[in-house]
Amino acid sequence: MKAPKSALLGVLLPLSVLLLAFASLSFGAGGVGWQDSLHWLLGASGDAHVDLVLGELRLPRLLKALALGAALGAAGVLLQTVTRNPLAETGLLGVNSGAALGVALGIAWFAGQSPGAQIGWALGGASLGSLLVLLLARAGGGQSSPLRLVLAGLALTATCHSLTAWLALVSTANLDRYRFWLLGSLAHPHAGLLWPGLVLIGVGLTAAMALVRPLSALALGDDLARALGQRPAPARVGAVAVVALLTGTSVALAGPIPFLGLIAPYCARTLAGVTIASQLPYSILLGSALMLSADLSSRLLLAPFEAPVSAVLAGIGAPLLIWMVNRDATLALMPAGSER
Amino acid sequence: MTKAARRLAPIPLLLVLAYAALVAGTPRLSASQVYAGLFGPGSDWLSTLVTQFRLPRLCAALVVGIGLGAAGALLQNLTRNRLASPDVLGINDGALLALALSLMLNPSGLLGPWWCAVAGALITAVFTLLAAGGVGTRGYRVLVVGLGIASLLRAGFDIALATLSIFHATGLYAFSVGSLAGRAWPVVKVAAALLGILLTACWVISRALVLLCLHDDSIRGLGVNLGQLRFTVLMLAAALAGVAVGVGGPIGFVALAAPILAQRLSPDGGIPVWCSASIGAVLVTGADLLGRIAAAPVEVPVGVVSGFLGGPFLLWLLMRPKAYGAG
Repeated sequence: MKAPKSALLGVLLPLSVLLLAFASLSFGAGGVGWQDSLHWLLGASGDAHVDLVLGELRLPRLLKALALGAALGAAGVLLQTVTRNPLAETGLLGVNSGAALGVALGIAWFAGQSPGAQIGWALGGASLGSLLVLLLARAGGGQSSPLRLVLAGLALTATCHSLTAWLALVSTANLDRYRFWLLGSLAHPHAGLLWPGLVLIGVGLTAAMALVRPLSALALGDDLARALGQRPAPARVGAVAVVALLTGTSVALAGPIPFLGLIAPYCARTLAGVTIASQLPYSILLGSALMLSADLSSRLLLAPFEAPVSAVLAGIGAPLLIWMVNRDATLALMPAGSER
Repeated sequence: MTKAARRLAPIPLLLVLAYAALVAGTPRLSASQVYAGLFGPGSDWLSTLVTQFRLPRLCAALVVGIGLGAAGALLQNLTRNRLASPDVLGINDGALLALALSLMLNPSGLLGPWWCAVAGALITAVFTLLAAGGVGTRGYRVLVVGLGIASLLRAGFDIALATLSIFHATGLYAFSVGSLAGRAWPVVKVAAALLGILLTACWVISRALVLLCLHDDSIRGLGVNLGQLRFTVLMLAAALAGVAVGVGGPIGFVALAAPILAQRLSPDGGIPVWCSASIGAVLVTGADLLGRIAAAPVEVPVGVVSGFLGGPFLLWLLMRPKAYGAG
């Protein structure tokens, strides 16, 4: 019963990602339709305009969306496993805002930013943020409520956000540079950022796959994991490091993107079951598909304006959060008596 | 100290801060100059500086602080939850979204009519009530539902911001952080009048408000219509928060911190609304003052100051052994 379903999904999901990717190349401003992009893909187009729109604008955007979706989908799964909290997500827990604060600090202190430095600052901020999340999650000895961790994330977000706003507001030059980076989101291919970013996300995804086995053992509880020959502490720290790598890189590429790390793992859990080994690849694929559709709708929804892709994702993610919280099954996963 | 004296403790502090708010800034004024500016005889620039710039801003800070402090106290009494506040429950974001929508429909003025914020806050409160399935004692749950609604409304605000003209978008973005620089005398005066009406309403129901800390069945046993009482309190709190957001934008954490500090001052019974309102005024006036002098000549918006200080405060509340809001 289970096998044919997962086989079907295994075919359908990559197929839909491909379709969405093609749609992402075919729609948008610039007067280039799907026939043009098909010709271009087959190498049969000699039109300079088509080359410009597809090669310089839409293709980098497509690659970025694919990579970001995969990275945030994987980061969500890892974070949820480590904190044992179905609501754990890099945006809700404040890792995104930590990375954004890192970028703002880099902009404020070293005005002329190389792409490498920008990624470095984002990684630093994301590492601090996710380390804090790990500490907060462990503070209650694993007995703390999933909802409490979300509220702690709100506190972290508020502080980082205020600091970022302050850094941006103390000088007009900072504000301009910061806004340019933030508004860049998916639309502008920040020259030089794309390829290092893609490589780092690739490394992060590989590391996430390598962590599947230790993390699956961890899901059984620390004692059982030890009995299976795994060491819980290094696995946990490794997972948090990978989360920081994936989140930091994606924030450096496109600014903080909320809720994707909640939606993709949730759908993956529903489709593929609760084991990490099956959840992670699905979450990566679903994350890419979601990111592509969110990007597409952000382009088409308000044309000629462009809605921020983060707003589109919040429009899907926030109702899901409310529904998950109101449904008893989610909260059944948490320790008894911690929420009344 | 007696209970009454402790509840009055914020007042002297508020007077000191109000005096400092009139004196500090560029140029620094002396006490006699402030007096001359307020009541004459003084030069034109002095009277303009004091009565048209510093006094309206001080009054705006008081209106916002009192509104947020009272709203927070009402909500915390209502939900019996120490973490319930109009910013966590999304009410502030609803008020902000209403301002943005009003600008989309009628692009006159810089920030949109302030009363739209009150309407937005009331609608959001009803929405949150429905989404959370009641505001009774449901621990963290109602808060995270509110957080979801807040993100949803924020997303709506971001989309609205993307479609507004650059002129409106820039002004509204600065306002969305929480800033007292945006509103002038006429708005502050009308908002203060509405605040007075709402506070009178709070005073009228204050007797029933005390009951909210009793057990549900006990309240019903006293012949009080509990549903009606709760709805009234929620609407009052939303309207108070809406007034505050309409004047000063969504300034975070004031409505969360003021009632908690108020209860420290008078630990027995429910949360004292008046004490919380005066502490809210102290917090907003103090944060605005800090933002004006900390990085002078650049002005740090009051919302940035309150968010920066409020985050660690919330974390501290959550990390306490007997966490607030859990019961």
